[in-house]
Amino acid sequence: MRGLAARHAAAVAVTAFAVLPIVFVVSAALDPIGTLNSATLVPRGAGFGNAVKLFTTTPFWTWYRNSLVVSGLTAALSVAVSALAAYAFSRFRFAGRRAGLVSLLVIQAFPQFLAIVPLYVIFSAISDNWPEFGLDSVWGVVLLYIGGQVGVNTWLIKGFFDSIPKELDDAMLIDGCSHTQAFRRVVLPLAAPVLAISGLLVFIATINEFLIASVFLTGDDARTLAVGLFGLLADQRNANFGMFAVGTLLTAIPTVAVFQFLQRYIVHGLTAGAVKG
Amino acid sequence: MRRSFVALTACLTLTACGGGTAGGETSGDASPAGQAASSATLTIWADQMRSATLKPFAEAFAKENGIKAEVVVVAQNQQQTFVTASQAGKGPDVLVGAHDWIGNLVQNGLIEPIQMTEDRLSGYVDVARKAVTYDGQVYGVPYAVENLALYRNTDLAPEAPKTFDDLVATGRELKEQGKVKEIVGYPVSQQNGQSGDTYHLYPLYTSGGGHLFGTKPNGDPDPADLGVGTPASVAAFEKIAALGEKGAGALKRSFTSDNSAAMFAEGKTAFLVSGPWRLADVRTAGVKYDVTPVPPFKGGGPARSFVGVQAFFVASKGRNKALAQEFVTNTLASDEVAKALFDAEPRMPALRTALEYAAAKDPDVAKFEAAAKDGVPLPAIPQMVAVWQPFNALIHSVVKGDPVEPAVKAAGKAIAEQLGQAG
Amino acid sequence: MTVTHGSGLRPGRHGSPSGSGGAASGGGGARSGAGRSRTTGPGSTAATLGRVLALGLIVGVALWAAAPLVSAGNRLGVGIVAVVTAAALYVYLSPRRLPAKYLLPTTLLLLAFQVFPVLYTMSLALTNVGDGHLGTKQEAIAAIEASSVRREAGSAEYRLTVAEQGGALVFLLADPARRRAYAGTADGLREIGGATFGPGGRVTAADGYTVLTPAQAAARGEEIGSLSVPVDGGAIRAQGLTRAYEGRATLAYDADCDCVKGGNRVWRADDEHGRFTAPDGGALPQGWKVGVGWANLTAAVTNPKINTHFLGVFAWNLFYAVAVVGLTAALGVAAALVLHHPRMRGVRIYRTLIVLPYAMPAFAMLLVWRDMFNTDFGLVNRLLGLDVDWLGTPLTARASVLLVQLWLGFPYMFLVATGALQTIPAEYLEAAQVDGASAWQRFRTITLPLLLLALAPLLVSSFAFNFNNFNGVFLVTAGGPFPSDNPTVGATDLLITYTFRLAFGQQGAQYGLASAISIYVYLIVAVISVAGFRRTRAFKEVR
Repeated sequence: MRGLAARHAAAVAVTAFAVLPIVFVVSAALDPIGTLNSATLVPRGAGFGNAVKLFTTTPFWTWYRNSLVVSGLTAALSVAVSALAAYAFSRFRFAGRRAGLVSLLVIQAFPQFLAIVPLYVIFSAISDNWPEFGLDSVWGVVLLYIGGQVGVNTWLIKGFFDSIPKELDDAMLIDGCSHTQAFRRVVLPLAAPVLAISGLLVFIATINEFLIASVFLTGDDARTLAVGLFGLLADQRNANFGMFAVGTLLTAIPTVAVFQFLQRYIVHGLTAGAVKG
Repeated sequence: MRRSFVALTACLTLTACGGGTAGGETSGDASPAGQAASSATLTIWADQMRSATLKPFAEAFAKENGIKAEVVVVAQNQQQTFVTASQAGKGPDVLVGAHDWIGNLVQNGLIEPIQMTEDRLSGYVDVARKAVTYDGQVYGVPYAVENLALYRNTDLAPEAPKTFDDLVATGRELKEQGKVKEIVGYPVSQQNGQSGDTYHLYPLYTSGGGHLFGTKPNGDPDPADLGVGTPASVAAFEKIAALGEKGAGALKRSFTSDNSAAMFAEGKTAFLVSGPWRLADVRTAGVKYDVTPVPPFKGGGPARSFVGVQAFFVASKGRNKALAQEFVTNTLASDEVAKALFDAEPRMPALRTALEYAAAKDPDVAKFEAAAKDGVPLPAIPQMVAVWQPFNALIHSVVKGDPVEPAVKAAGKAIAEQLGQAG
Repeated sequence: MTVTHGSGLRPGRHGSPSGSGGAASGGGGARSGAGRSRTTGPGSTAATLGRVLALGLIVGVALWAAAPLVSAGNRLGVGIVAVVTAAALYVYLSPRRLPAKYLLPTTLLLLAFQVFPVLYTMSLALTNVGDGHLGTKQEAIAAIEASSVRREAGSAEYRLTVAEQGGALVFLLADPARRRAYAGTADGLREIGGATFGPGGRVTAADGYTVLTPAQAAARGEEIGSLSVPVDGGAIRAQGLTRAYEGRATLAYDADCDCVKGGNRVWRADDEHGRFTAPDGGALPQGWKVGVGWANLTAAVTNPKINTHFLGVFAWNLFYAVAVVGLTAALGVAAALVLHHPRMRGVRIYRTLIVLPYAMPAFAMLLVWRDMFNTDFGLVNRLLGLDVDWLGTPLTARASVLLVQLWLGFPYMFLVATGALQTIPAEYLEAAQVDGASAWQRFRTITLPLLLLALAPLLVSSFAFNFNNFNGVFLVTAGGPFPSDNPTVGATDLLITYTFRLAFGQQGAQYGLASAISIYVYLIVAVISVAGFRRTRAFKEVR
């Protein structure tokens, strides 16, 4: 019994560590005096003043929609593209395969945001020719993010593909299916966990990204949550912590939703690839 | 199906990139013809607040001239984004920004001088006119002026302090009586809490006898005459250190612009050093207040606050330069627009007639104007970039209580090295 | 397509495992041959259809992409579209099983958004590009001349009306004081009669001239800007569309001496540093981009101001990444173990709450943490009743950024560890218990090794991420605190935050030097990630 009590004590401590900062944000969101340093764990009054102010003085829902579109598209497309490449690396044997895998890793080590100037050159050329994919367009930034994450995802997914017995898709091939069919009907369904987890990781990374977004998505209608919320605090003159806190909590909702939706795959997806054998 | 789609998007990407390398060569002959055929779009970049204010004026101008106008919000790193975008040919025609960007934008060849007659120039308050003049040329049309002043809670401290020493004495007394928690709300740190705030500390530094740069005959700051590291600057920082964490405890690194204002609004301190942008907060809080100039040290020189001027710039690489000049020098510089801008957003106007109008509507505007009397424009020379980081760090060291002289000398050395490197 | 194949194949799928399992090489090969012949009929129709579709799509997209390039006469662009289209056609129309079918999208994305930027960055490292040296020499000269045009002191300002005569642009200039009108062209100024003045003294009509509407004038903005009407000692230029002034360029470029002359001073072009310098050492502010060879790359290694800090920053960076991985893993595993007990109640609630930090937007929470560390107003000190200057001293600042990253990162480790614990077969532990192993022994010899096995790839990727964790440091401490004797490098600076400040920070952009340093950072990270993966099983399969 004493063991259990100790366990509860430890669990409470860890939970407190995890939750206290969030409680602080919740309190600040409700607190009518929305200043950062006077905020307390228990709000001095509860109201939706900050929320109302956020919705009326900023294009918050536009930011929200943009973030969802950018993060959702990036996650879905990046997983799709990476899964294709991972399949080739996992199931084909071809000249340059090893070099390809290593160079994926090496190329990916360069942080995109250090190359803002070259990227701007690319995007201004795209804007000249195909404005749909250029500056201030969601599609352009989505492609950019995919390019920045496809290498890591390919590695992650390839590792999982390797753990799916090759005999399964061999059997399909033997039966006269094409590689494409083997991929679609055997490998992909079995790899659902890792696809879910890499999708979630990309989603979270994208919704948090603000350095690139703040340069390439400047238009009134194009900004994302990260850029918009950061602006609320960064503006020295009009910093409003209360509004920022409301926005932060609302930003967590899609992540939690995606997380809940993918949860049944996730724990399995994180471990299955590694624990095999 | 998905595969083809992915291939499709990827295809686009690479071809797009190909366009990048060659685009620069060809855009020159392609764009003007296309531009002339359709009606032009005047693009204006501004921050969030300003864009809302400017939109109606830009739209009215567009309608009058049979063109289109677009006001784009650039939320962060406006100057950096403007430089990158302009260099890539994607910049705006008009930029709204702070006058201290001028030096950097001029060395990058990105803004145009604006020609105004002496008559028209004299319509602006002196400090604004000086601020937008760089190397003898006017580079922006000023529209709002901002500077620091002292807010005082008149319930707690009915008398305006004559010197900063009086202020600290009063604040300390109130603290001992338990009426306030802090002596003064003085933003020592930048918003991120990580480095000192040169802008806010400058009045004390100058009152203590320090200066950053000397002045050239044409009125620009002279980078060859660096004032940091001199005995005068050490003396100035000794006075600041005396108020710091190991001294009187009036200046603390934990104070930022934000929390100082919050303290004042909650009545936890009787004094606040801040600018007109805090008026709205202070009024909302319902504190009885008065605004006076930042007081100097006892026996010290005047406490000069930095004056920041918001101005309209005409971009050199904009596509509609003539329109941009027209909009900036005629529409935005007009008396009616300047008044309307004030009505839309209460910032102290740079145009004298609008300033009178504003002062009549809001007595606080006149008080901030009085506080600007001793002010100096924030240096616009590009060499200022060498100053910020060392000086910010210096402020933190001194307020923290580190030995003053070595810190000042080290900062002076760091700035000088950086200047030599950049030179 | 799926349906027909599925029904046709079902019997075969049942049969295959036994067949291929036993005689993999011989039997399997024969079967696959048979299988192919069996599906040739419907398969080829579908495949042909698929190829026609692919062909249509690729060609359609290529045409769409090429159209603007062709109309702009962009030959290089068209060439690249052609090459990519050809590659796509070859890969997707070929009946062979090419791995390239799967790799092409990834390859193209990487080429465009990783490889090209890296190469471009490397090329920037060989130049002095940065503030004051952004463009070409021509651009610098144009900027110097344009900004040197000064209004004649005391000269009158003209009210301008833009007009045309036979298609050529004419400035109709009114001198409001004297109520006179002039027509100005590139040939000069001449007075005109018969002009009608409107409000504000502008000319509204004049015989023989067609006054342009504002929209028409706006459309010819470039012409208006470049027209200067020569007058004695200067020229009249437009300032916008309704005003004109008399001014003079005080600086002029002289191609013969490759110098800028003005007054009695001369600034000679210094093509090594990309600027015009006078004999007295003064330089014109507008410079241009020039190649500097390896100077930036060697400066990063040899300049004592940079390299002494480079090592220190590198050491802390390494420590930071290792410590974050270690701490998050330790706390995550510990929390998972605490909750992993059959009689433990409320596990679901604990679990949900502990995972919450992971769901919060990290950029926002980093800012929140930053303010919670404030000495006088921060929640940390207020809650614990302390007066610690968290972010103000090197040691506490480092501890703070680690603590923040621990908070952000441990829920993820907790999740994985929870999952892994459930996969450890209970029999192992029971058997060990029967053998008399203590709880600690069971943990050390069975649970921990299995857990670590499950966590290994995660630890490696976590290390790679944290080694370059820009937000984690930049948003909390911005690299600080900075020592007063060297304000360029802070105690919590990672290589990446240091490089970022160099390129975009308050010191003014020095892209050339920053590019050189980012290449070094890149090499370090690349070596570390390859080395890291080499140690995991994942990499062994590459061979």
